[in-house]
Amino acid sequence: MSLHPRVVVCLDVRDGRVVKGTRFDGLRDVGDPVKLAARYEAEGADEIVYLDISASKEGRGTLLDLVRRTAEVLFVPLTVGGGVREAADIGPLLRAGADKISVNTAAVSDPSLLTEGARRFGSQCIVISVDAARSPASPGFARGPGWRAFTHGGSVPTGLDAVEWAAEAVRRGAGEVLLTSIDRDGVRGGYDVELTRAVAERVPVPVVASGGAGEAIHLRDAFVDGMASAALVAGILHDGLTTVGALKAALTGWGIDVRRTTAGVAA
Amino acid sequence: MKVALFDYGAGNLHSLGKALERGGAAVEVTSNWDRALGADALVLPGVGAFSAAAEALPADRTRVREALESGLPCLGICLGMQLFFDGSDEGEGVGIGLIPGRVRKLDAPVVPHMGWNDVHGAADPLFAGLGGGLAGYYAHSYNCDPDDKSVVIGWTEYAGARIAAAVRYRRSWGVQFHPEKSSRAGLRLVANFLEEVKP
Repeated sequence: MSLHPRVVVCLDVRDGRVVKGTRFDGLRDVGDPVKLAARYEAEGADEIVYLDISASKEGRGTLLDLVRRTAEVLFVPLTVGGGVREAADIGPLLRAGADKISVNTAAVSDPSLLTEGARRFGSQCIVISVDAARSPASPGFARGPGWRAFTHGGSVPTGLDAVEWAAEAVRRGAGEVLLTSIDRDGVRGGYDVELTRAVAERVPVPVVASGGAGEAIHLRDAFVDGMASAALVAGILHDGLTTVGALKAALTGWGIDVRRTTAGVAA
Repeated sequence: MKVALFDYGAGNLHSLGKALERGGAAVEVTSNWDRALGADALVLPGVGAFSAAAEALPADRTRVREALESGLPCLGICLGMQLFFDGSDEGEGVGIGLIPGRVRKLDAPVVPHMGWNDVHGAADPLFAGLGGGLAGYYAHSYNCDPDDKSVVIGWTEYAGARIAAAVRYRRSWGVQFHPEKSSRAGLRLVANFLEEVKP
């Protein structure tokens, strides 16, 4: 026996509320993050991610309060992304109750943020979030078609090779990679398993596959073929198409050793 | 029951505080050793790095060690468990020296050991009602290597090796995983500790 593959539930939050819809317009308020997070824990979620998409300073202040309230009722790990602009933002989020913080744009701008964060708080709480899209071969990338890393919610290309950037971020101190396929995000046709595997084979830390979950078999593929340590699920749960329990039951049926939460407390 | 939750000044104590309160404890978060050693039980949380936490220990380590040896109940979590030992590969600093041994860097292809892993518990009140163990949430890069393995009351397998998931010495228990992040089973473990040590 070894580590149980994790089913991670992601909630997009803005100004302290869970929102759904396109990132930058047409957002709908769908509820209280604290209540939803606790509900997902009860359903068997192994971890909760808050992705803060607040645009304003006030919204970011709300995030700290939200994390504090969540930590008082949530007894599985909480990762918070989107709230870190600079190294000084890490401490307050962890003190408020986040177990890990994930960074993307800020780490691309200033990779020393990863080193500084890991030195002060430990690698286990620093997650590098890599948003990647497939790109055709181009000069300077002898390995042929690959993936490029993007920042600012997938809108700004960095020119960085996504796999190499993930490896670099880990060398600098990140203890986990949250890897989102921009191509697959929201499509529900499955994770980019090739991308996931390319990164998982390259880095000595856990990789969380993200973007594309439509049904349980997609999680199986991410764990088995993509070598992911965890799979992130969002829309299909929030839309009520399935539950964490149903996903885990299917995975268990396929011989995937997910943490079971029914029948007593021992897994 | 008054439980002192020691604050090294490093991080999040909210979930652990709430887990203890759910178990019936009156929790006082403190960085004051007089208060910490004067409570009914002491909890050393698992946040931050070894060196920084070791710096938060009193210069006179024997004070803490003697309090624990003479019966002050203690629960050390992750780094808090590691502080029971003499020293760590993670960095400089001297631990409490309650349990002879050292904290060593994990020897595995994937480090940190992060996520849920099975804890196989011995017959100890800490695991009461848990059916011999639980899935515990881990997030660590170093683990405890006691000289005398008989202090180990719970094991976890990782990367083909066994790591000490839980130790016990007299009225002190240490767990490498985070019960406050291990959902219902973890809360039960925290409640078990409080039940076992209540005056």
